[in-house]
Amino acid sequence: MAKDRNQDGDYSGQLRRLLVGVLLLCLLGLFLIWRIDSPRIERFRAQVIDRVVPSFDWAMAPVTGAVNIIHDFQSYQRIYQQNQELRRELQQMKAWKEAALQLEQENARLLDLNNVQLDPRLTFVTGVVLADSGSPFRQSVLINVGARDGIVDGWAAMDGLGLVGRISGVGDNTARVILLTDTSSHIPVTIEPSGQQALVSGDNTPSPTVSFIEAPDRVRPGDRLITSGDGGVFPAGLHVGQLAKDPGGRLRVRLSADYERLEFLRVLRNWRDERIADPGGLVTPFGPIPNPVTPEAAATGGITPEPADG
Amino acid sequence: MAERSQTYLWAMRALFVGICTLFVFLRLLPLDTLPRGWAGPDFILAFTLAWGLRRPEFVPPLLVAAVFLLCDLLFHRPPGLWAALVLIGSQTLRARAPDLRDLTFPVEWVSVATTLAAMTIGYRLILGVLMVDQAPLGLSLMQMLMTLIAYPLVVLVSQSLLGVRKVAPGELDAMRPGS
Repeated sequence: MAKDRNQDGDYSGQLRRLLVGVLLLCLLGLFLIWRIDSPRIERFRAQVIDRVVPSFDWAMAPVTGAVNIIHDFQSYQRIYQQNQELRRELQQMKAWKEAALQLEQENARLLDLNNVQLDPRLTFVTGVVLADSGSPFRQSVLINVGARDGIVDGWAAMDGLGLVGRISGVGDNTARVILLTDTSSHIPVTIEPSGQQALVSGDNTPSPTVSFIEAPDRVRPGDRLITSGDGGVFPAGLHVGQLAKDPGGRLRVRLSADYERLEFLRVLRNWRDERIADPGGLVTPFGPIPNPVTPEAAATGGITPEPADG
Repeated sequence: MAERSQTYLWAMRALFVGICTLFVFLRLLPLDTLPRGWAGPDFILAFTLAWGLRRPEFVPPLLVAAVFLLCDLLFHRPPGLWAALVLIGSQTLRARAPDLRDLTFPVEWVSVATTLAAMTIGYRLILGVLMVDQAPLGLSLMQMLMTLIAYPLVVLVSQSLLGVRKVAPGELDAMRPGS
């Protein structure tokens, strides 16, 4: 058998070259199709991930757990110190809790006085982080909830404390969350208390940059950043983090979410608000005109009643 | 003899797939969700090139393309492009392998380095021309350098532990590369 192959070595070499050529054409073709029609290929990618990653799951959880235990072990060395710190913090938190309860009651009374309609509360689905992006170039995680649980592209993901990212790519059982630190993430935010609008853009560092502030002298480090809801992708009012200034003088955000330990993520169900698209009908003495009117119809329709009067 | 070498061939191919799966698994572990300022070596690529230079029949083109396409999809890279470049790179090295067989390791290392640099530059150029978002230049270069630094280690492990050695001239007829 080895002798046979030795004889037709030239033939098999040509065959191999042909195979390599066909493979190259397929791969580059796939890349070009991805560049032209990205959503379809991305859907395919989500399906592949959906098939492959959960099959690693049985091994991933124990290995991740074991590595985290080793990490934690270092912190046991100064456990007494930590305990003292936590006690001190607990004291402060109790004071804050009292203040928060009083403020909540006051807020409820004032809302009641004003008869304010609040937005319906957001409900959420909680998922476990399965895997990270696997490359230092992209910042994203995979979570174990997907289309089966009603997840839709574009929804916001939070941990208990703050915004983590947005859903991008949904498989049947998994979904990918693009983190705020990824270079492709740009989120419109409001800076409290001055109310300035800004954009938080990830740049592959732990603290994303804050840009497009109208009046930079009216904000200062320590201000809170919440999502503004502009563009209609995210609900408004999600906590993002605190403003900070880096040594170079650029404004950045110190994220509230604990990016060191992303274990559970909440995906906020966000059915889009109703949009008000048409400008509204004319109000005439005979009541509103029933049909939505085009400009010409409005011009003629608005004039016709007058000759009848005169 | 032929039967045994066939079994051995498929066993080594399976071993290659196993190694790749192991490294994909390690990279997917959700350990560092914080962006880090450094990039580790791409061991899968180092193994592919090292094995391709030593025993090309263990890493046939179809297998390389399949493994790297899967990596592209899993690691959220533009699908297909890096796989195609790796295929070109490994085939170029394979064509050069007969010349490199008699030379020392440093020569092989340099030739791997030039191939890797050409692949990285080509990747960034194509992405730049097609205006796809790409990773910071520093990180790409760092990953390339780390892969090069890890290459001798990968060769050492392949040769001593896994038995992937260059074919001695006498064995060449018996172990003709399969198509």
